[in-house]
Amino acid sequence: MPRKLKHILKQALLTAVQVNRDKATGIMEFELKELENIFALLILGGFAGLPSPPAPIAVELLPYMERELTILLARTDLSQDPLATLMDMLQVD
Amino acid sequence: MKDTAFFLGKGGVGKTTLSSAFALELARSGKKVLIASLDPAHNLGDTLYTKLNGQPRRVEPNLDALEVDLGEWVERYLEDSRRQLKENYSYNLALNLDSFFSILKYSPGTEEYAVLWAIEDVHCRLAPDYDYVVFDTPPTALSLRFLSLPFISGMWVAELTKLRERILERRQTITRLNPESPVAASCVDKDDDKVYGKLSNIRARLSALATLFSKQSFMSVIVNPDDLSVYEALRIRDELDRLGLPLEAVCVNKQGVSDAAWHLAPELASLSRFDFDFTREGIHSRDDLARIGMKPLVQLFLKEGKKR
Repeated sequence: MPRKLKHILKQALLTAVQVNRDKATGIMEFELKELENIFALLILGGFAGLPSPPAPIAVELLPYMERELTILLARTDLSQDPLATLMDMLQVD
Repeated sequence: MKDTAFFLGKGGVGKTTLSSAFALELARSGKKVLIASLDPAHNLGDTLYTKLNGQPRRVEPNLDALEVDLGEWVERYLEDSRRQLKENYSYNLALNLDSFFSILKYSPGTEEYAVLWAIEDVHCRLAPDYDYVVFDTPPTALSLRFLSLPFISGMWVAELTKLRERILERRQTITRLNPESPVAASCVDKDDDKVYGKLSNIRARLSALATLFSKQSFMSVIVNPDDLSVYEALRIRDELDRLGLPLEAVCVNKQGVSDAAWHLAPELASLSRFDFDFTREGIHSRDDLARIGMKPLVQLFLKEGKKR
């Protein structure tokens, strides 16, 4: 029984630590996604009329940008309601 | 050391004729020479009286020549990108890949890049077998664009590299603080990140081309005794100045073709000047080409080449 209790306590502690870690890095992850989004926008911006490097450079980088493209597409959805995204990140209900 | 020569100028001034005569004079003086035409409308083979293609072909004992097939370079480059795109994307994001790439063939900048990678191929793969390489260039607009690309694209790539470094630093920090974060599954090291690797690779290639243009190349501009070609030569000089590429000689071709008044602009008069008379009988063989008096320009080129 004490062994099981010890295990439960350990799991609870680990969960609490992980929750705190997630909270600590949440804003950094948001910032990272913004940077990755900007990177993708800079590479592919030419297609939307933004200043961008010459198309051949974009084409050379394109095969390795799957993650950035996924973020770019997700960000396109979020851009409809940026205030809600900000409130969500700051955990304001 | 300057072991590469470029001849620039307005369309029709005689770039192909003078660059062929230059390569011929160098070859007949005992140097091993490759002349490559970058002009999409090739006529180097006609000038050298030899049928040419994309691979070096022997014209004379010390002279090989080729005509770069830009269409083939565009295809090769797009095919390479298409293959990598198919290999790397885990889901089928690019269903209409083929139609996308067939449009890219006509995208602004693609032809200039094809010229650039063709020059790189000649410089890295073929040039080591020769003492000197001579490039016959396309008319001014395309030439200036490909000459400026290593510098302009280099700035873009440098900025993108900085941004990528910031992204990788953030990923590293997040992974250290929270190893369970989904970010930990992505690349965090410069050595593993393929985008960073590709950027470094493009940067190194552009930098090598910038060095080739600025330190290893002898640039000459060709004019005719008329104001239009002189105005264009001035624009070439200004653009090369802006890029930090030294222009070293001005060749006045077809001297005596007309009696109309003209003058060489003072900005060009400060360069080493070489005059070539208009040959009324025409040029009908390589021996005729060799007689147009290229020796003084070749001597200046060899002298400049030894300086560094």
